[in-house]
Amino acid sequence: MAQRTGRRSVTRQGVAGWVFLTPAVVILGLFLVVPIAMAFWVSISDWRGIGNPMTGSAQFVGATNYTELLGGDGLATKDFGRAMRNNVYYVLAVVPLQTILALTLAVLVHRRVDAGRGFFRSAFYFPSVTSSVAITVVFLFLFSATGATNRLLAVLGVEGPNWFADPRGVVHLFLGAIGVRAPYESGPLLLGLSWWNWISGPSVAMCVFIVLAVFTTSGTFMLLFLAALQHLPGEVEEAAVVDGATPWQRLRRITVPMLRPTLFTVITLGLIGTWQMFDQVYTGTGGTPGKTTLTPAYLSYQVSFEQQEWGRGAAIAFLLFAIIVACTLVGRRLLGEREDPR
Amino acid sequence: MTGAVATARRSAVRRDRGPAWLRRSRSGTAVALTVLVILAVAYLYPFAISLATSLKSDAEAATDPLSLIPATPSTAAYTELLRNSDFPLWVRNSVIVTLAVTTGRVLFDSMAGYALARLRFPGRSLVFAALVAIMAVPGVVLLIPRFLVINSLGIYNSFAALILPLLADAAGIFIMRNFFMSVPLGVEEAARIDGAGPFRVFWSVVLPMARPALITIVVLSFQGSWNELSHFIVASDRPELQTLTKGVAQLTAGALSQGTQYPLKLAAAVIMSIPVAVLFIVFQRRITSTQDGAIKG
Amino acid sequence: MNQHTTPVRRAARSRRRRAGAAGAAAAITLGLAACSGGTGFTEETPSGGDDGVDDGTVTVLIGSSGAAETESVEAAVAAWSDESGTPAEVLVAADLTQQLSQGFAAAEPPDVFYLSSDQFAGYADNGSLHPYLDQVPQADEFYSSLLRSFTYGGTTYCAPKDFSTLALVINTDYWDAAGLTDADLPTTWAELRKVATTLTTDDHVGLSFAPEWQRIGAFMAAAGGTLTSRDNAAATVDSAENLEALTYVRDLLAAGVAAFPSSLNTGWGGEALGSGNAAMVIEGNWVVGAMTADFPDVRYRVVELPQGPGGPGTLQFTNCWGVAAGTDTEAAVDLVTTLVSPDQQLAFADAYGVMPSVSTAGEQWAAAHPDQAAFLAGADYAHGFPSAPGASAVLADFNAQLEGLPDADPAAILASVQVDLQAVLGG
Repeated sequence: MAQRTGRRSVTRQGVAGWVFLTPAVVILGLFLVVPIAMAFWVSISDWRGIGNPMTGSAQFVGATNYTELLGGDGLATKDFGRAMRNNVYYVLAVVPLQTILALTLAVLVHRRVDAGRGFFRSAFYFPSVTSSVAITVVFLFLFSATGATNRLLAVLGVEGPNWFADPRGVVHLFLGAIGVRAPYESGPLLLGLSWWNWISGPSVAMCVFIVLAVFTTSGTFMLLFLAALQHLPGEVEEAAVVDGATPWQRLRRITVPMLRPTLFTVITLGLIGTWQMFDQVYTGTGGTPGKTTLTPAYLSYQVSFEQQEWGRGAAIAFLLFAIIVACTLVGRRLLGEREDPR
Repeated sequence: MTGAVATARRSAVRRDRGPAWLRRSRSGTAVALTVLVILAVAYLYPFAISLATSLKSDAEAATDPLSLIPATPSTAAYTELLRNSDFPLWVRNSVIVTLAVTTGRVLFDSMAGYALARLRFPGRSLVFAALVAIMAVPGVVLLIPRFLVINSLGIYNSFAALILPLLADAAGIFIMRNFFMSVPLGVEEAARIDGAGPFRVFWSVVLPMARPALITIVVLSFQGSWNELSHFIVASDRPELQTLTKGVAQLTAGALSQGTQYPLKLAAAVIMSIPVAVLFIVFQRRITSTQDGAIKG
Repeated sequence: MNQHTTPVRRAARSRRRRAGAAGAAAAITLGLAACSGGTGFTEETPSGGDDGVDDGTVTVLIGSSGAAETESVEAAVAAWSDESGTPAEVLVAADLTQQLSQGFAAAEPPDVFYLSSDQFAGYADNGSLHPYLDQVPQADEFYSSLLRSFTYGGTTYCAPKDFSTLALVINTDYWDAAGLTDADLPTTWAELRKVATTLTTDDHVGLSFAPEWQRIGAFMAAAGGTLTSRDNAAATVDSAENLEALTYVRDLLAAGVAAFPSSLNTGWGGEALGSGNAAMVIEGNWVVGAMTADFPDVRYRVVELPQGPGGPGTLQFTNCWGVAAGTDTEAAVDLVTTLVSPDQQLAFADAYGVMPSVSTAGEQWAAAHPDQAAFLAGADYAHGFPSAPGASAVLADFNAQLEGLPDADPAAILASVQVDLQAVLGG
């Protein structure tokens, strides 16, 4: 692309370059860069939603909003703690499940060389393109107390829970089933929550959102794996066949290692995506039951847009931002280290 | 990334013989097919049941939530939505916003992508670096910030607030830049030697050439803006600016009422899924291979 | 706070559970039908929607329980508009809490709006409200307990729109079928438990109420418990009375003679009653409208809640007509004055089942609605919500914990709410 077409052309290109870039730069600058700076100011101010925070309606309060969230023992800390706990369980469940399912789908679809391949690929990918609002509505219906899921379970002789109304954690339920009881009284361990609160697991309601997330994202990640499978060089495998390796050995020793870059990409994208859970909560539960589907993203919205604690809401958003950036950097480092030069 | 030709050749080889470890016994294939079919049913059933339930009565939806065939099909839910509600207004608003955003992104993303890929000018690498950084900003973190800036600009509660912030996206620019980097220079050079300026070259030579990438941008922006929710929540609170996603979400959020009004809500979900489904069917091949290009860069 | 319009108006996310059949119907109505029902915005081009505040139009933001409420408010506002010559429009909120907060933050608040007593203190505290009560001619006719709900820092800011209380609503078919008579109407907690047990069958549960302070708080009141001291200075949540109430409620749930509406596959008490899943529910005035609209064939009666160890107790809910500071307050106050006049309030009461907030209209209301006398009787001993900024978040947290009540330790719940409420009051 290094063309030499003379000085005049270079000048014209310079002008043209900036003219071409201006609309995009203005839009992204105005609606991405500037707002982030404004929100950062709000996060270190006491703005309560009245007047313009940029022109004197807000006082600088330092890190107060942040310390209230991280170090206090009040409701703000507890709510942030709950949101973190819920989201951590969500991430821990969704990321592995969606990755494994996506890989399985990709391998199965890849096997098929006939017309069925296109059909299956489309079937698995379709949930990914549909609106999260629409899918949430469908899941609210499927997982209602006497909905399709519980009818199916009834056929199997299982009495399904009242999914979206059940705040009990699944670990708590499991421990209860084997006779371990929740200790009634225990002090806070971290972010205002007791250790029992931390280990009680995602609530039954959150489990529905976990299924929903796996359902909607596995298709996208399947496509990434499929693309990677198609680009695998055949020679290595053929050599392995000659060496007498079994199919399982070849999958585990050759294919999976060669898919490693894609695997890290999928995991990184999964981490980034799962920390941003908002639409489903807004549409489906608003954090209920018992605040067990509250997420930091939704909490930041609720605290500012409903409770008018804009400073605290913005602070939550920045903490979430930090978490996501950290996930991205870790993912990038792993990718950078492991990626085979191609 | 290796050239398209090489890829094609390689997969052609693959097609002929099938990858070694994937070629298994007949029974293995049968098991795999069964698993695939079961999974496909699980993935498609929720959509089928939404369509079926939207044609049921409230009572039937509650008593027989599993059945895919309504006992007495009725379009009552659709009539209610389209005749006695603001739903048509929401559809109209979503269409306006989606068309505007898609047009804007096609134009602005391709212009910026072209400039970054093909034009030499001071500050280019800086802009590119900024773009990469911006791509890392998660959308959900922007809820409060966007609200603040929309307010400060005085465009809150207007179509401008719904549309302007979405008019360009870093990922789209990135895709266009990568595309322009990968196409050969010849035609463009010829036009330039003929004395055409950068704008003419872009408009009449480069853009027509960029059709495949532009379709990718169209598909991504259409889907993205049609399904957008959080931005619309913070950009306005007037009923006349309500979009489909926000309208349906608030309709649903109003009641965690199992068993009530499901045909209506599912009818809304079905209607809002149709445009994306059509887009998906029309551009199926492009969409399912888009991800590859977008991620590989 | 939650009024007859509760189910919908506060699609307030933390308590969305109570939205139900009426909620869904109303949400549809307000999101959809109500808006097309002539609010006027459709004729207006949205591009001009920007200056809704400054063009002299008085905007009225309401949370509606359904078509009946929307239409009667619209009619009243239109009549005022015709008479005064000031243009006005009624907007029906899909989520009143959020839309109000967002409107203020965007410096485009509605001129006149529903403001619930639990949200009130936050808005009064940050200077959003224009105090106008002294300009309302009938100011001294409001029930003083309602005015207290809208007093902050010694100033009463706004006029109560109307109010509602909780009572026991009984499905009379189930009652008769179980062989119960008027003599069995429960007047004590022991009797309540007894009839709830009698009424519980395989098919339906004896008693149902939502897992939130807005229902269970009635038991706390009847036990003699309160949330705060009389002067609102100290939290009194972790009292022995409140513990007794929660323990009683938990035992009812554990015995299977009471259940939350959500476990009956319904969204709120009214739906549980109407769908026949519960024989008795604890609900407020709004249940009347919902039953008429959604379950016209179900026969029911309304009686006072049974007395607890501390005597009679119930909760009252109220909204006021908030007026935003700094907008065209003169026209807004004039409109509100019309809306709270006794005649207008009686018209609203007829249309959608609330009780007038002025004592002068009380007798007329009671005469017109003898079957709902229990609601008005409750006004004498009803508890309201303490007004303090931030208290609504504490309440939301209380409700979140009550959702786990069947498994939780009542003392632990009360202890944590005590700490949080004290923090809000002390600040």
